[in-house]
Amino acid sequence: MRENVMKPCEYACQTEEHQISRRLFLGAAAGLAGFTAPSVAKELSSGQKRMLVIFLSGGVSQLETWDPKPNTDTGGPFRAIPTSVPGIHISELLPQAAKRMHLLTLVRGINTAEDEHGRGATIMLTGRRTEAGIKYPEVGAVASNLLVTPNRDLPGHVQITPGGGSGFNKEDAGFLGPKFASITLADGKPPADLLRPASISSDSDREREALRQKLNAQFAQSRRSAQTDAYTESFEQAAKVAARAGAFDAGREDPKAADRYGRHDFGRHMLLARRLLEQGVTYVKVTHTNYDTHHENFDFHIEQLSEFDRPFSMLLDDLADRGLLQSTLVVVMSEFGRTPRINDRYGRDHWSKAWSVAMAGCGLKAGAVIGKTNANGTAVTEREVHGGHLFHTYFKALGLNPTKNFYPDGRPIPIADPKAAAISEILT
Amino acid sequence: MGSPWRLLLTMALASTFFSSKLQAEEPLHKGIDRIIAEGFESPTKAASPAKDAEFLRRVTLDLTGRIPSATETRAFLANRTPTKRAEWIDKLIASPEYSRRMQEYFDVVLMDRRADTKVSRAAWEEFLRTAFASNKPYDELVREILSNDGANPKTRAAAKFFLDRDLEPTIVTRDISRLFLGRNVQCAQCHDHPLVDDYAQEHFYGIQAFLNRSYLFPNAQDVKAVIAEKAEGEVSFISVFDPKKVQKSTPPLVSGWKPIVDVTLEKGKEYKVAPAKDVKPIPAYSRLEKLGAAITAQENVAFRRTAVNRLWALMMGRGLVHPIDFDHSKNPPSHPELLTLLADEFVKHRCDVKWFLREIALSESYQRSSEIPPGGQDVSQDRFAVTILKPLSPEQFGYAMIQATGLTDVYRKELGNNASETSLHAKLSAHLGPFQRIYGSRPGEPEDAFSSTLDQTLFVKHGDHVQNLLSPRVGSLIERAGKLKEPTDMAEELYLTIYSRFPNEVERRDIAELLRMAKNRTALLSDIAWAMLASAEFRFNH
Repeated sequence: MRENVMKPCEYACQTEEHQISRRLFLGAAAGLAGFTAPSVAKELSSGQKRMLVIFLSGGVSQLETWDPKPNTDTGGPFRAIPTSVPGIHISELLPQAAKRMHLLTLVRGINTAEDEHGRGATIMLTGRRTEAGIKYPEVGAVASNLLVTPNRDLPGHVQITPGGGSGFNKEDAGFLGPKFASITLADGKPPADLLRPASISSDSDREREALRQKLNAQFAQSRRSAQTDAYTESFEQAAKVAARAGAFDAGREDPKAADRYGRHDFGRHMLLARRLLEQGVTYVKVTHTNYDTHHENFDFHIEQLSEFDRPFSMLLDDLADRGLLQSTLVVVMSEFGRTPRINDRYGRDHWSKAWSVAMAGCGLKAGAVIGKTNANGTAVTEREVHGGHLFHTYFKALGLNPTKNFYPDGRPIPIADPKAAAISEILT
Repeated sequence: MGSPWRLLLTMALASTFFSSKLQAEEPLHKGIDRIIAEGFESPTKAASPAKDAEFLRRVTLDLTGRIPSATETRAFLANRTPTKRAEWIDKLIASPEYSRRMQEYFDVVLMDRRADTKVSRAAWEEFLRTAFASNKPYDELVREILSNDGANPKTRAAAKFFLDRDLEPTIVTRDISRLFLGRNVQCAQCHDHPLVDDYAQEHFYGIQAFLNRSYLFPNAQDVKAVIAEKAEGEVSFISVFDPKKVQKSTPPLVSGWKPIVDVTLEKGKEYKVAPAKDVKPIPAYSRLEKLGAAITAQENVAFRRTAVNRLWALMMGRGLVHPIDFDHSKNPPSHPELLTLLADEFVKHRCDVKWFLREIALSESYQRSSEIPPGGQDVSQDRFAVTILKPLSPEQFGYAMIQATGLTDVYRKELGNNASETSLHAKLSAHLGPFQRIYGSRPGEPEDAFSSTLDQTLFVKHGDHVQNLLSPRVGSLIERAGKLKEPTDMAEELYLTIYSRFPNEVERRDIAELLRMAKNRTALLSDIAWAMLASAEFRFNH
């Protein structure tokens, strides 16, 4: 029986979404082990683009990271240090990152005008402000929707969180639907159902799978639709993902790499992120917490950033060494920055008017700074941008056209906010 | 009333009367079959009538949300009464499971699985369930939902539609139009719909004008908030496509019908209770009060078209207008005459949902097989020549799993004399949550088109919830089947319980052979049962 998958008038035209709606997590990229040889990685890099977001949750201080203002009323106690790019200085709390400035691109003129955590995160992750009646997909859902190659066994949208529960999310893909929503690996652990439980032996698994296929084949002789096909295929796809569950196990990485990244949670999570990207996951987000330093901003930033600096730098090195950086977009973001004014508890509060994001890879102009803030960092003075500009820039860098539309319910919705455009100066 | 409106109204009423008189002799299910048959390109490409087992499983799922038990299936198949199908339909519609099924279906339709904030789940479900149990006319139900301000604790549940949307004007407007008028006018919020000529910006704001004076009192955060209304305020809108940026307004208006003429009140007499700090105002004239009547008015053809189209889709797997919420002139119904007939008859029968569903269930069109006849592959779904395979809803799938693995029977036995739909449901619902969470739509979003996601598949494949349901316990399927002597009897028990049919000869032989060779029969029974539960035959209502 033919199904009318297309609606009878033009609003549900043959959009890209419809074309790929059934491909799910189908795919190839063979082999269980991670790529250790740079040459192999190079082959992979030629085709597929991918994205890594490091989300510094709570709101990292731009003054203690990418846009220091030493010796001003707002600058705080830390120095600015020279980097591998002459003329560019960043905070002394990031000595390793400073040595890799030639790989980085800094955007210093961000004004997102939103000081609340949830809404700030929405702006940074969806490139849009919160709107009633529509739920925009997060960048990871968009990336996994648009970048997925038809040959893959692994899910496209993965996030690694410091805690909470592992599982499958529904919401962060917004109108793109749950297929593109993320899988959360809480503390790096995969969702329980991903692995075959010990109570089901491999013999039993094989037996029941064979029987299931036989029953479906019988049923399909007289009753069949695109939906029944999608359902029966989903079991074969799940089996493939389960068979590649090793991709989620950072414990299989070289112990020396674990030492380099640091034997702590964030180090382990970043190593897992490298593993997932190398295995062909399109988008990985790693969350590092907690930067919401209303009290003791400086002590906390010493602590958090010393944990952040090394694994971040190691991952940059590894991606660069393996030839993957040219096809991997790396973004270090927060929901907002922190107030230049230091409060009476030595804290800094929420501040979205003038803050910074660091990016790398995917052909972005390396060793560059775009945008500028005034002497004590209270306002953007040059090339002001917001979440919409960044969103455009990510997808341009990934080789896509962010002015194209999605068609949820047949309604055209531009991939990125049409009122903004990419920061062309940092694109090559 | 202006004369053009009066004329239109008279014409509408006359046509209703005339067409119903013509068809007076013909029961609705015959009318359905007549029109559906007229739409066949070739009658030979239509499926043959469904066999008893196919009918039994289908109609039980559609009308009560569960699958028949092995005992019910045996009895129905053995029954030789020629009227047994009609009797079974009547039995289902009269059962408390019917009200539960309608409650669950309409809850998802009306609330999109959003979080319960201001009206409790229990009160809302009770409200819906009693409405369907007493067969409250559908228009009356909708009027109650659209004209409740939440102030009376006894009837507050009906206000959930408004309250748990925080009375957010865009969302409420969109959903009223989408759910009750079959017009998804969301794209007409910022400009006339770019692709659908019938959906103008005025239609969006015409509905919003009923709501624009209302707000939540004391505030939207208060879980006890009620709806308050001011005596003034107009909607205004500008098309984003309009270079001149002309500001427009509209009175309350349901598209295709007359606008509401607001009562203008003397200055100083606008309020029964005047607005003041911490006081809920009561206007002398309420726009919101007009909404329920305007939406459900007999003259508003869109309302009845959408109502019958939704119920048709519930039973038949696809709307006559498809998708259900895009009713407009460029997306005509697959069977225009049938949609008109259904809509008119529904209103003539005072929006009687039980009667309407019964008529559909009685039709040959509903009772056709889902097996594609030779040469039938190319026939479009919208001909209804072969019964459409419907994926089970999260609730249906959950109940079906619980029933098939035997847990329902275990509980029924446990409850003994205290077994009622309510007491049994209380036990079963504890197992339903994971199915709703994993298979349900995202909270606050309409059900997505069917898709099989990785988490759903892994839930069935590896999840402990399904494993637990399958584990042998006294009275469960595996235990019951394991006690039988003959492997062929075991095969029969599995097929009757899970697929609600007898195995055919090949199936019986295949399963029996597997069981004969097994070292561990219980383990194998469990594997076979899993394979059946994970198969397409179980996942779809066919």
